Amino acid sequence: MSAPPDDPGQRAAALQAELDAVKRRDAEFRANMVKEFLDRGERNTYLHTLREEKAGLVKREQESFADLEFLTRKLEAEGDRIAALEGELQGMWRSWSWRLTSPLRALRRAFSPGAPAPAAGGEPVQGGVFTYYLHTAPFRVYRGDSFTLRGWAWPEDGRAITAVRVNLDGRTFAGRHGLEEPEVIARYGAQPANPRPGFEVTFATPPGRHLLSLEAQLGGSEWRWIVRTSVWCEPKAP
Amino acid sequence: MSAADANSRWMDSTSTLGDRSAYKKVWERQAQDPDVASLAVAGHTDEATLELSARGFIDTLRTTVGLSPSDVILEIGCGIARVGRPLSRECTHWFGADISAGMLRHASDRLKDRPNTTLVELATVGLQEFPRDAFDLVYCTIVFMHLFEWDRYRYVEEAFRVLRPGGHGYFDNFPLDSKHGWNVFVEGSRYPLDRRPAHISMASTREELGIYLGKAGFVDVQVHDLPNELIAATGRKPDC
Repeated sequence: MSAPPDDPGQRAAALQAELDAVKRRDAEFRANMVKEFLDRGERNTYLHTLREEKAGLVKREQESFADLEFLTRKLEAEGDRIAALEGELQGMWRSWSWRLTSPLRALRRAFSPGAPAPAAGGEPVQGGVFTYYLHTAPFRVYRGDSFTLRGWAWPEDGRAITAVRVNLDGRTFAGRHGLEEPEVIARYGAQPANPRPGFEVTFATPPGRHLLSLEAQLGGSEWRWIVRTSVWCEPKAP
Repeated sequence: MSAADANSRWMDSTSTLGDRSAYKKVWERQAQDPDVASLAVAGHTDEATLELSARGFIDTLRTTVGLSPSDVILEIGCGIARVGRPLSRECTHWFGADISAGMLRHASDRLKDRPNTTLVELATVGLQEFPRDAFDLVYCTIVFMHLFEWDRYRYVEEAFRVLRPGGHGYFDNFPLDSKHGWNVFVEGSRYPLDRRPAHISMASTREELGIYLGKAGFVDVQVHDLPNELIAATGRKPDC
């Protein structure tokens, strides 16, 4: 350390400079302290988010395994039923009455009109090409009275989605569209025709096997399906 | 994009008054593109006017609470860092906090060449992300008009907590008893009840701001009449 200067003015200036340096070091220390505090907070928040995500994934995995087991058993039962029906059919084909009525069936085939009647439930909907994601997967066994399908979508041809619905065996359920999806927009960029691409549709899930079709109306006119799948609705075991 | 385009898109991005407390949602919607964000937080879109208005505000800080190169400063509701960008040249470190991640993205673009700045997204009303006794100055400008009174006070209380002993707080709003303040009030009253936007500007009174600072524990509380027709309450956190 150097000796203090004799001149009071110089001494005051030196002390002031020292004070300023101390203040600056103190400020830097506090700024770093805040940054470390923020960093720790962020890490804690991130860890918490990861743990919650992990718990959610474990739950979904368990549900998926349960559904897989259920579907496997259903498939086995269907296989057994097919085998039984095939046996019955073979027996029928071998019977006297089947062989006796064979010429009549040939005549009926020759005079019957070509195409089968269209299925009930309005105009058939064509498939469309969409970029989409479903937050609540439809590929599951439905165990409640209703289910809400949530997700986001936009058609590849750039048209606006003006309505969404679920068609379950011809019965339609209108949904809400135009819901905010800021993370999707941040990831894929602005979608001028569909700035809020989120949607949700709640539909009834009566027991049995159904054809589920998630559909979007484009530009206020035609409907196109986004995804189609068979679904099984099973009431919860008591 | 022209100012008229930005204005029209800003109008489209507004939420209704019922959402006023949902600050994150309201301000995320207004932060979708830089021009709309700039218009929403500063009333204009060009960089030169932003810089000029920020300079004016820094002069206000200098005359009301004082600035020192060794200051560690926190801005509550920093938006696109209109003030933070020039102010960071005059302090040791500038922290900008905002409830909107979208606003902070724009702020981050504007602060690329400012290593002594840090941006923090607030989870909700308050400064729970920050430690106590850390800052020399905490200020909040052109924000209180968009907050409910309870939330204004919450930020004053929180500012007191994070200030170091001897540090200063600054909070401004427009007053009801100025010509501008009354005009804003009357314009707001003309909205149909169901179409009042969530961010609609609401005045403060001198008494209100003074009470907030006094109740939060500040001393040397003063309410200043500023040349731009704002009022600002300032106070000091007592030394230990």
